[in-house]
Amino acid sequence: MPRKLSGGLAGAGLLVVLAAAPAAAHHSFAAEFDAKRPIRLEGTVTKMEWINPHAWIHIDVKRPDGKVEKWMIEGGTPNTLLRRGFSKHSLLPGTVIIVDGYQSKDGSLKGNGRDLTFPDGRKLFLGSSGTGAPRDGKDSTEPKR
Amino acid sequence: MSHRFSASLGVLAAVIAVAPVAQVAGQAPTAAVKKTAAAKTKAVSPARNTPRTSWGAPDLQGTWDYATITPLERPKELAGKEVLSQGEAAEYERQTLERRNPDRRDGGAQADVSRAYNQFWWDYGTKVVGTRRTSLVVDPPDGRVPPLSPEGQRRAEARAAARSRSPAGPEDRNLWERCILGVNAGPPMVSSAYNNNVQIIQTPGYVVILNEMIHDARIVPLDGRPHLPKGMRQWMGDSRGRWEGDTLVVDTTNFPDEANFRGASAALHLTERLRRVDADTLHYEFTVDDPQTWTRPWSAAMPMRTAEGPIFEYACHEGNYGMFNLLAGARAEEKAADEAAGKGPR
Repeated sequence: MPRKLSGGLAGAGLLVVLAAAPAAAHHSFAAEFDAKRPIRLEGTVTKMEWINPHAWIHIDVKRPDGKVEKWMIEGGTPNTLLRRGFSKHSLLPGTVIIVDGYQSKDGSLKGNGRDLTFPDGRKLFLGSSGTGAPRDGKDSTEPKR
Repeated sequence: MSHRFSASLGVLAAVIAVAPVAQVAGQAPTAAVKKTAAAKTKAVSPARNTPRTSWGAPDLQGTWDYATITPLERPKELAGKEVLSQGEAAEYERQTLERRNPDRRDGGAQADVSRAYNQFWWDYGTKVVGTRRTSLVVDPPDGRVPPLSPEGQRRAEARAAARSRSPAGPEDRNLWERCILGVNAGPPMVSSAYNNNVQIIQTPGYVVILNEMIHDARIVPLDGRPHLPKGMRQWMGDSRGRWEGDTLVVDTTNFPDEANFRGASAALHLTERLRRVDADTLHYEFTVDDPQTWTRPWSAAMPMRTAEGPIFEYACHEGNYGMFNLLAGARAEEKAADEAAGKGPR
């Protein structure tokens, strides 16, 4: 039996001391988008670029004065979504979506899709009927329980 | 590193709830758990009947998934704790997923920007490795990458200073942002944010290690030829392979200075070991030897499991708008700083 953590782990919350794990996406969003320019857009999808390193969703956003702005919204790698059973046909032109995110630092009409939802609040790519999350953690080096 | 997202990325707890973890039928060398870290890695015995290729070599071929939430280094808070109990592992997984969950919105706008996008794009894995070790590092026994040598420290500081400057062009950004190397593909391979997949293809004279991230292939000759001349540096180094029993040993040198695996120099000598444990599992170990960077060599080990699907193309240059945007962002920030200082355009 391995040595117990100080105080043990009997209750939830006792291991909260974990330091931040190193993690990296393909590129720095902090260098690309401006924390001082939060955006919330409701728009109609005109095109989805299902490309790497990150997918881009193009939306038309109608402003109160009637003008239509063409925004580009950055997501993550499509590979993950492919594994979960989604494709570029999962988000078709004409779909209305809500984008919560931050605008690009140079002020162009680009933002990150910090939260992508449908108008009813559902997240875009949930409820996969695909293969689901990776089947990690089970391997033959694991002791029998 | 400044380009790393510092915290709070990971897997939404809900994913665990909806995604059953597939069972892997295989032998479980239970004796491995009780020994010391170094001994334990060696104790993972190969399958009694290692599958063979048609020409009789151990068959490592397939598409393998090395996602895990076990960190490379043992968290400082778990010092002295080599292995988690079953209950501790479950709690560790729960807390890690909660902490990394990018759908949370606490911590202020800057943290929120760095979380980038919704959880559904991420694929860190959801479980610790099957041995429940608290680090992938098995040597030194404390589970930590050894201290930097004075030279390694100086190089790390110089690199940090270079990264802190406003980038003049793509060359001032890191290799994964430039679509040259995958952040988790190495070599060596270490689980990261997504695309933790590798395909292995064998011929009698070669092994091909094809990483999904940046879809780059290492073509490893097995015929004992010498390494390339020292002056020839390749992004993924220069690999030579050989069989030691049923273990494939891949020896890699000739890295460029820019490859910079966790601060490594161009003198990095990497040794990777791959062994088939059973139908669904490879055991992967690597040893990092770079006296110009670390005070001693160090080693890590992890399982790779059969991936459910194929490798997908990661044509990174195809849509790397991010590079354009972050350089445009740097120019915009310079302009704003100039205006604030009452200067004219540059």
